Amino acid sequence: MRNIIGLFMVLSILVILPTVQIVFAAGDEAGEYIDRRVEIWNLFFRMMTVAFVVGAVVSGTLIWLIWRFRESNPKATPTKYEGTGELDR
Amino acid sequence: MWRMGLDGKTFDNFPSYENENGESDMVLELQKPRPIWQIMFSTHHTDIGLLYIISSLAFLFMGGVLALVIRVEMFSPGPQFIADSMTYNRIFTVHGTNMIFLFILPFASGVGNYFVPIMVRYKDMAYPKLNAIAFWMIPPAAALIWLGFADFGWYAQPPYSAISAPGPAAEMWIFGLKILGVSSILGAINFVVTILKCKHPDLPLSKVPLLAWSFLSSSLIVLVAIPTFAAALLMLLTDRLGVTGFFNPTMGGDPIAYSHLFWFTFHPEVYVLVIPAIGMMYEIIPRFSRKPIFSHSSGMFAFILLSIVSFASWAHHMYATGMSFTEKTVFMVGTLAAVPASAMHVFNFLATMWGGRAKYSTPMMWSIGGIALFFSAGAGGVVNTAMPLDFITHDSYWVVGHFHLFVFGTIAFGSFGFLYYMFPFITGRMYNELWGKVHFVLIFIGAVLVFFTQHILGLYGMPRRVFDYPEIPEWIAMNQIQAVGAVLLGVGMTIFLVNLIYSSAKGKEANMEDPFGLGGKYYYPYQAKNPHHD
Amino acid sequence: MSGHSNWSEWVYIGVVVALLAWVGAEAWNIERLVEHVPEDAKVIKVTGQQWFWTFEHEDGTKETGELHVKKGVPYKLEITAKDVIHSFNIPEYLVLMDAVPGRINTVWFLPVDEGEFPIQCREYCGLIHYNMRGTLYVEDGA
Repeated sequence: MRNIIGLFMVLSILVILPTVQIVFAAGDEAGEYIDRRVEIWNLFFRMMTVAFVVGAVVSGTLIWLIWRFRESNPKATPTKYEGTGELDR
Repeated sequence: MWRMGLDGKTFDNFPSYENENGESDMVLELQKPRPIWQIMFSTHHTDIGLLYIISSLAFLFMGGVLALVIRVEMFSPGPQFIADSMTYNRIFTVHGTNMIFLFILPFASGVGNYFVPIMVRYKDMAYPKLNAIAFWMIPPAAALIWLGFADFGWYAQPPYSAISAPGPAAEMWIFGLKILGVSSILGAINFVVTILKCKHPDLPLSKVPLLAWSFLSSSLIVLVAIPTFAAALLMLLTDRLGVTGFFNPTMGGDPIAYSHLFWFTFHPEVYVLVIPAIGMMYEIIPRFSRKPIFSHSSGMFAFILLSIVSFASWAHHMYATGMSFTEKTVFMVGTLAAVPASAMHVFNFLATMWGGRAKYSTPMMWSIGGIALFFSAGAGGVVNTAMPLDFITHDSYWVVGHFHLFVFGTIAFGSFGFLYYMFPFITGRMYNELWGKVHFVLIFIGAVLVFFTQHILGLYGMPRRVFDYPEIPEWIAMNQIQAVGAVLLGVGMTIFLVNLIYSSAKGKEANMEDPFGLGGKYYYPYQAKNPHHD
Repeated sequence: MSGHSNWSEWVYIGVVVALLAWVGAEAWNIERLVEHVPEDAKVIKVTGQQWFWTFEHEDGTKETGELHVKKGVPYKLEITAKDVIHSFNIPEYLVLMDAVPGRINTVWFLPVDEGEFPIQCREYCGLIHYNMRGTLYVEDGA
């Protein structure tokens, strides 16, 4: 539970900080230009964070599924479709 | 209660594929081969399916050798054993062209030809002779591509391809692709008519298996998308001949027009490549989880949605060509719109496995590995489509890694898994299960080493289609990692080849009722029988 | 084609769509920021041809293969090509724009760090594409 709260905090910061930046951003007067490298890499790393979080969820789910529902698991029970002929379509 | 012919009584007019002893007659029996002319002139869907599959595998290995050559050549800066850049440029061009047009598409056609008639409970494809013609167009087209050995990358972007690329390689490539385009269209017509018009009257479209649906969706895309490329090829040819200047700015033309025509076809075309592979996973994952698919209707909906939305994103390949902000935004939205449909398939697969009782035979391992890499490929694609990030990734090794995770990590994985799955069906024998799993492990590790590394190499700025590179330590290290991965891939694929050939000839006879020991019948109630086979 | 009665799948799709909307909004915003060319940016004409880059500054100075700029001054690059499509790329400054014959593409950037930075071509253009390189020199402006 605590991990999920921590996760949500990270994700909200990823959303809130850029929004604040838009509101308070410096304009393009002489001497105050944006550095495209900073903007673009910043976006990249934020998106990578989200992608890896989603990836961890998806692959974690997949690995758990593979483990839990393997036929050699002592907890494995036949599915309710086995033996009924419905699987033979 | 309507049932799908399990008792053999519902489909009265369906030809029996069993012989007098009630055994199924297998088609591919290497120890007593049929006369070669009989196979070559056959119009039966199982024969044509096999011709497609075997020829596509041959091209897979040929293209794979080219890939190995590329990765070993790139092991470190300076030429290793390729003397000049023109040879290298030709090699990557033919590698790409071959893999897409001579392996992925024909392999899918082969699977479709073999199984779609069975799945819709019809005796053959709608137009058997046209089917044979569509296949036999491939060898001459392949000869043109391989003997020509063009150098302009598989995009053939003008003005380079029109004014600078050496002939006759370029013209041969153009003619080869023209022929393949016609072959694809003929095949697509056959699939659409077979599925929609020839399916058994008692079988509603909503109960047609998802693999058949995948061929329906991809064929519909082909019918809309390919003619555009046919036009572009013709224009490119006349430009090369100097007759026209469609893409030549000195004659009033615009090279970016070609980009639009090309990508209008080839963005949807990449979905044509991936959709059948997802369909193949839909055959394997439910069966090996001993559960029906979580939501058949989600699968159908996702395929059809993807076919439509795939046309909305083509110019995300062209962000660097000088498009306006608005244009780029439109195509970014179009690209993002296609993601939920793919996400639905991932959900469907995971939800199918949930609550199942899974056996991880070789086909299942390939399918699950394929889903994992499909997700990674898609995630990388979402990063690509964010417009500013294109300044980092465009035409770099990131893109190479990204699309290879799709064509290799998803499509080849799904194809190999399905090939193992249908192996007993076609040959009556079992492949060697241990070597099948060894093949999977080597390929999975090799694919991660090569294609994930390529993403990082792209972030470090290495462009694609380069024969050589400066002595930047990070670039050298990552190229060397890739070479190691490529060797693993080569070893794995060699094991695969040996397994396929040996087991086809001398493998243990399979239990045709249930070769994988899943409980329940192996396949549809009717096994494939070729009427010519004695 | 009906039967989406499963709440878990709807929640999943909702999350996916929300994430994609976030991606799109962020990308739109950053692109808007990055594409806004400052009014006082100095123009440099960049021309790509097989297989080298040439540059022309506002004051008429021409350079081949090397580009000298001043730190802290924004530059607007007007990029074109003479023969086939090339792509002008300064990877360390994330400058990337195709050089297309018959049109001029524009990109601007701000050299922030002094030093030497590689320039390369990012669109296959034939035999020496792999070595169509140059160098950007960022000097302290006085």
